[in-house]
Amino acid sequence: MSIRRFRNTLALTVLLAAAGDAGAQQLSEHQLVNTLGQVAEAASAVDVAMLAQELAANQGKGIASLPHWSQLATLPQFFVEINFENSSVAIEPGSYRTLGLIADALHHPLLLRYKFLVVGHTNATGDAKRNLDLSARRAEAIAEALGTTFSVAPNRLFSIGVGSEMPVDPANPKAADNRRVQLLNIGLVK
Amino acid sequence: MTNRLSVLSGTVLIAVLVQTGVGQTQTISYADAATLLAKECGADVKKFCKGLNLGNGRIQNCLAQHQAKVSPACTSTMAGVIASIQQRLAAQESVDKICARDAARACRGVVPGKAHILGCLLKATRIVGAKCSQAITDAGWR
Repeated sequence: MSIRRFRNTLALTVLLAAAGDAGAQQLSEHQLVNTLGQVAEAASAVDVAMLAQELAANQGKGIASLPHWSQLATLPQFFVEINFENSSVAIEPGSYRTLGLIADALHHPLLLRYKFLVVGHTNATGDAKRNLDLSARRAEAIAEALGTTFSVAPNRLFSIGVGSEMPVDPANPKAADNRRVQLLNIGLVK
Repeated sequence: MTNRLSVLSGTVLIAVLVQTGVGQTQTISYADAATLLAKECGADVKKFCKGLNLGNGRIQNCLAQHQAKVSPACTSTMAGVIASIQQRLAAQESVDKICARDAARACRGVVPGKAHILGCLLKATRIVGAKCSQAITDAGWR
């Protein structure tokens, strides 16, 4: 497991190479609750529809610096690796625990008033449009599993896929660590 | 639905709880439930449910459809996991009610809101009764 510090967010990457990997144990519910609960008082509301609109209008150009997308950097969030079957929305059983940990965190009283955005990212190998589409369907699959299997209220869950439009390191868009899932606290449930 | 599931798979759940070594509490975390499912059903999921996502009961339905070929340990674990998720949810939903009297006594003047009340109850160990204390444990909120 590697921990990278961003400006004011703690990013956690959990590598689940195989089912039952001991590394999976290192991500704890307490870490998630504390990370996602660090809400700044002046945090502005995130408009998921605007994010989708900006993404659609800027495909292939990168989105990290766009007005709505750049706002996300200031929100409580973390990154996690969730593995899927090839070209599929099927979450590998080895990643079920990670979903369960996220569910534990989202059911905690400190986070119950908030809604969350699941952002799916791919690396830049293969067709860009296909990557974008697959990342969207995978992000949706994660939100769906949280909202059904793990009983998180569906009105607290949003998802979007950005393909390879937001690489970890723009100089290395094909690196494997670009394949990741971002979970952000996007503000109070109305 | 919760009750029906609990009755149906109560014995399975006990086995699940003993297996995970958390027999002293009545519920297990969503993470532990998910881990059990992956451990006992992972191979069957990969074999019979290729391409299916976990959500919306798809894996559950798929395993049920292939029950004749699915390992018995997976079948019983699946039922136990669903029951334990529902029990954790029920425990979390019951905390407010079970702890209402203790909260009224121990947390007067505390800013309203679930998180603040919970923080107060967790500190007020001398005032909070055994039932409320157990409810917080079962909810996984310690």
